Amino acid sequence: MAEIAQTPEGLVTTPEKTRKPESTLSRIAKYTGSRMLSLMLTVVLGIYLTVLIANMGGYVDTIRRSLIREFVSLAVAGNPDLPNMTTEEITALRESMIEVEVERQGLNRPFLLRSFSYLGNAMALNLGRSENMVSDTGSRLVRLIILERLPPTLVLFATSNFLLFFVGIVGALALSRRYGSFMDRVIIALAPTSAGPGWFYGLFLILIFAGLLGMFPFGGMVGAPPPANRLDYFLSLLRHLTLPLMAQIISSVFLAIYTWRTFFLIYSNEDYVELARAKGLSDNSIQQRYILRPTLPTIITTFALNLIALWQGAIILETVFNWPGLGRTLFQAINLVDTPVIIGSTVIYAYLLALTVFLLDFVYALVDPRVKVGSGASRA
Amino acid sequence: MYRNRILALFSVLMIVSLLLGACAAPAAPTTEAPTDPSTGEPVTETPGEEPSAPVSDRTGAWVDTVIVVEEPSIAAAVTRMETGDLDVYSFSSANAEAFANVQSSDALCYVNVYGNFDELTLNPAEFVEGAPGVWNPFSNPRLREGLHWIIDRNHITQEIYQGLAIPRYTALSTVNPTGASMADTMREVEIAYGYDLERGRERITEEMTAMGASLDGGVWTIDGAPVELIFLIRTEDERRIWGDYISNQLEEIGFTVIRDYRTAAEASPLWLNSPAADGLWHLYTGGWAATAINREEVTTFAQFYSNRILGGTGLFDAYNPSPEFDAVIQAIFDSDFSTAAERTELFKEAIWYSLEDSNKLFLLTRTPFSAQRCEVSITADLAGGVNGSALWSQTLRRVGEEGGSITMAMPSILTQPWNPVNGSNWVYDQQLNRGIGEFATIPDPYTGLALPYHVESAAVTVVTGLPSKATLDWVSLSFADEIAVPGDAWADWDAETQTFLTVDEVYPDGVTAQRVSTVVYPANLYDVVKWHDGSNFSVADVVMNMILTFDRGKEASAIFDSGSVGALNAFMSSFRGVRITSTSPLTIETYTNLWSQDAENMVTTWWPMYGFGQGAWHNLAVGNSAEANGLLAYSTSKATANEVEQTNFISGPALEVLAGELAALAEAGHIPYEATLGDFISADEAAARWDNLSEWYRTRGHFLVGTGVFYLERAFPVEGTVILRRFLDHPFRADRWLGFAAPAVPEVDVEGDNLVTIGDEANFDVYVSFDGAAYAASNIDTVSYMVIDATGAVASTGTATAVADGHWQITLDAATTGALEEGSNSLEVVVISAIVSIPGSASFGFVTAP
Repeated sequence: MAEIAQTPEGLVTTPEKTRKPESTLSRIAKYTGSRMLSLMLTVVLGIYLTVLIANMGGYVDTIRRSLIREFVSLAVAGNPDLPNMTTEEITALRESMIEVEVERQGLNRPFLLRSFSYLGNAMALNLGRSENMVSDTGSRLVRLIILERLPPTLVLFATSNFLLFFVGIVGALALSRRYGSFMDRVIIALAPTSAGPGWFYGLFLILIFAGLLGMFPFGGMVGAPPPANRLDYFLSLLRHLTLPLMAQIISSVFLAIYTWRTFFLIYSNEDYVELARAKGLSDNSIQQRYILRPTLPTIITTFALNLIALWQGAIILETVFNWPGLGRTLFQAINLVDTPVIIGSTVIYAYLLALTVFLLDFVYALVDPRVKVGSGASRA
Repeated sequence: MYRNRILALFSVLMIVSLLLGACAAPAAPTTEAPTDPSTGEPVTETPGEEPSAPVSDRTGAWVDTVIVVEEPSIAAAVTRMETGDLDVYSFSSANAEAFANVQSSDALCYVNVYGNFDELTLNPAEFVEGAPGVWNPFSNPRLREGLHWIIDRNHITQEIYQGLAIPRYTALSTVNPTGASMADTMREVEIAYGYDLERGRERITEEMTAMGASLDGGVWTIDGAPVELIFLIRTEDERRIWGDYISNQLEEIGFTVIRDYRTAAEASPLWLNSPAADGLWHLYTGGWAATAINREEVTTFAQFYSNRILGGTGLFDAYNPSPEFDAVIQAIFDSDFSTAAERTELFKEAIWYSLEDSNKLFLLTRTPFSAQRCEVSITADLAGGVNGSALWSQTLRRVGEEGGSITMAMPSILTQPWNPVNGSNWVYDQQLNRGIGEFATIPDPYTGLALPYHVESAAVTVVTGLPSKATLDWVSLSFADEIAVPGDAWADWDAETQTFLTVDEVYPDGVTAQRVSTVVYPANLYDVVKWHDGSNFSVADVVMNMILTFDRGKEASAIFDSGSVGALNAFMSSFRGVRITSTSPLTIETYTNLWSQDAENMVTTWWPMYGFGQGAWHNLAVGNSAEANGLLAYSTSKATANEVEQTNFISGPALEVLAGELAALAEAGHIPYEATLGDFISADEAAARWDNLSEWYRTRGHFLVGTGVFYLERAFPVEGTVILRRFLDHPFRADRWLGFAAPAVPEVDVEGDNLVTIGDEANFDVYVSFDGAAYAASNIDTVSYMVIDATGAVASTGTATAVADGHWQITLDAATTGALEEGSNSLEVVVISAIVSIPGSASFGFVTAP
């Protein structure tokens, strides 16, 4: 029989039941469930906020109604039959055209109702149809609007991000071993150049290599007309890719190396690394076993987040190089207040982010023995 | 040592990069303006030299291939053209820095375009109590009129637009024939409303005081509070700068200006659609665009100064012109005049009334440029530029060369789905559609008058009393007291039976029309004109156009589109009937109540150039079938409502649907609208067309066919590239339109005595030329003059007398000089050409002495 204890504060507490140790599977299942739920709530909240922001809390309806009236009125003003129509007929024509367009854009339904439709469709990944934009091939399916721009985006940004990531890591490791060397100081000196974004260097590169030297094209993804042969197409793509890629790399590589190098230096001075050195282990062994391994979660996190950041593209860089990427699409959608496209782009990013965050927890556990999924805290 | 070398090398590289960057694209000084602000005369560089008498028998296009690419940046386009990476940039830009670069480049030429204009919109309403704008001084027309004098239009055009604009005072553009024909009035207006800050201050002070405001310490106040003006300033272009300039001028007068910078979307709900009396704004920087020369202008004043056309919007519903002005607006709108002179008088009255009203202060006509490499020639429309030109494809060439390839760039292409019925209306896409398709008559790029393209001849009859005229000899004009529409003419369409309803059925008591046009096509039309897929042109293509004019607006139709009902109703308000009187040669009579002053522009051709491109009966039948089956829709609105793809003949998921429909129609030997078109299409012809289109789709991968000088080889939507190839079977010689290489804007020079004795006769010689050659007298409409006396008043007006080609004479008789006071005078000469809308002008100063 369990005793009832009186606490000094006068509160009655029940004695703790003897807890059975929780099985790993149950712990992981619980964690997975709660984690998924919290992430899903975050995604729902994020998407609905996007709906509200993209529509300026509903004010966009006013803008769109006004623009419809403006455009229709001007279209009617250009009708060649106008001189033969009475004012009433002109009014009737205009109002009927406005009504059709208002209905087409769904503005006849209150914004609040539409906002929940947006949310529901987005959560179900039913991206639907755009309101104003079309895909490059002329489709209004948001799915196609995004998918058609995905390959060019991946080509440019995946290449540059991968290059930056690996060059950054490898360079940083090398420098961390040569702390204070000449190259180390050069990289430190050049790190502030990353204050200039990729498009800034892009302008110079275009000026020099396209305008003056004529070595590379000014922009675009492939030559015009696009080569019919696959190999030629690939080579043309490579030629067009060079300058934007260089711009991206120049703008970020020094800072990336500098950041990672500083990060590795901190780990290089840990006691256990000093101990390893004292034990006479080789530099490579120290790097792999005592520096890279404990920093792996951070490296993987950075890599994963870089990977999904591709989704955003880079608006100005794409514009400068006339690159048909997702950044420009999103920018256009924002300018046109094309809610379905904005939401479509955001919801995919949100899902990717949530999934990445979710999976990273498991990856941490795999690469770092100190971490246990669902244990609440790492045991150092 | 090693480090120092590397650092030194790196430093040198950086410096060289920066130097190269700094040297590459120098912005040339813009001291030389492209236009003379005092005369409005454009300076147009003629691209390349004209070849002497081309001897080639080449037909269709001059070049074999046009590669169209996307280049959103004008600055980049100019650099690319200089390096030879591009040949033409077909969009007209007002970027002054890029323009300076073009002007300073030996490799580049340009042409100015005159379609866009800016104005200052004023809120004319009296505000309700509690309005954010509090009080509106612009509800007073006399005060609004006073604003003209505080705005220096020359400053805006020269300093802000850096020469890419010319001053403007009225709703009528001097580039359009109506405005050009009143150049003397325009000059009078300019003198009357030119910049005079003190005069403006005086008028505003007078009116503000009368309304109960007072000037306290240089600031206008009413009821003890400063008079605040909310100025909506658009941010996308130069309007941001001139909005600031006008704000400064208003502040100089004593107003307190709240500058509210907004984009088009942000400003629209306020300036246009909020009730004007709600007082959310006082002023707005307006801008308008016209893509073609407007020869009629009968709706211009109704649009800008009344609620007749743009009513239903908060602003235009507040317009309340004076009864006299309103009567003139209505008379013009109703074309209530029977002679050209009456028409001119009405327009002149409207001009002066509009300046007294001044709901809008017209400020300038933009003159953006479109550029190309100098060895390339291309025809640009005076209003629409290259983008708006109907002749760009026929005239595009490297001067003195045949064949080859030209790379043309534009800010955007393949912007929306392409289909002839209700596809992309973007200027960029439409330009390409005008190269792939073609019209039966085309607008003269410099006058807007229709020219015959596929048409052999035409006859127009209008009811007696309408002030119409025929200028060109391909049209004959006659008048009749009454025009009865024949009973067998088609007056409407029965979508259920798919047959036309005759006039006898629709109007049992008969019906009359204001005009009938009879268009006659060449006898060999069906032999020489071919569609790109190899099909011969046929009368069925024309009848299909007639059917589709009605069918989509009829509820019983399988392709009914509610969005078409309004347009059909508008069309039916004037249409009375159409009759094919002969199929060979194809001859069509069209009866309507719509008429215009130019017989050439009244010829209804029914040529199958639809609103958004050209279409043959067979490729349209495929689109119709897809729409009837609920798989696609021509219009955006219907596609959205039905949740299907919009019909796209050139790319995207619609192609697969169309291919399926084509296969089914070909299999069935389908004849669309068989109850009607069955009379014009044989089973063999139908089979041949289905074969041709199937083969076309198999080889080209799209469904767009036209009869134009280029066919669409392929569109690359993601890469942003379109390839057009020369259509080898085009029937017309390539040199047919070479005369339109550049607009022959008259260049005017006046000579005479600088000293005129008061009371003596004085003679002045006017020399008119173009490109160094005398301007043929037959190509000049009028040479008029105005004498401005020493007080700035118009002392006399008149017309000059032709002496020889390029030489005209003005004589001021003794009575005229006798009326002049002692001092400096000026003789303003305006030359109106018959072959280009832009008038030439010049000013000559002389001194009068006893």
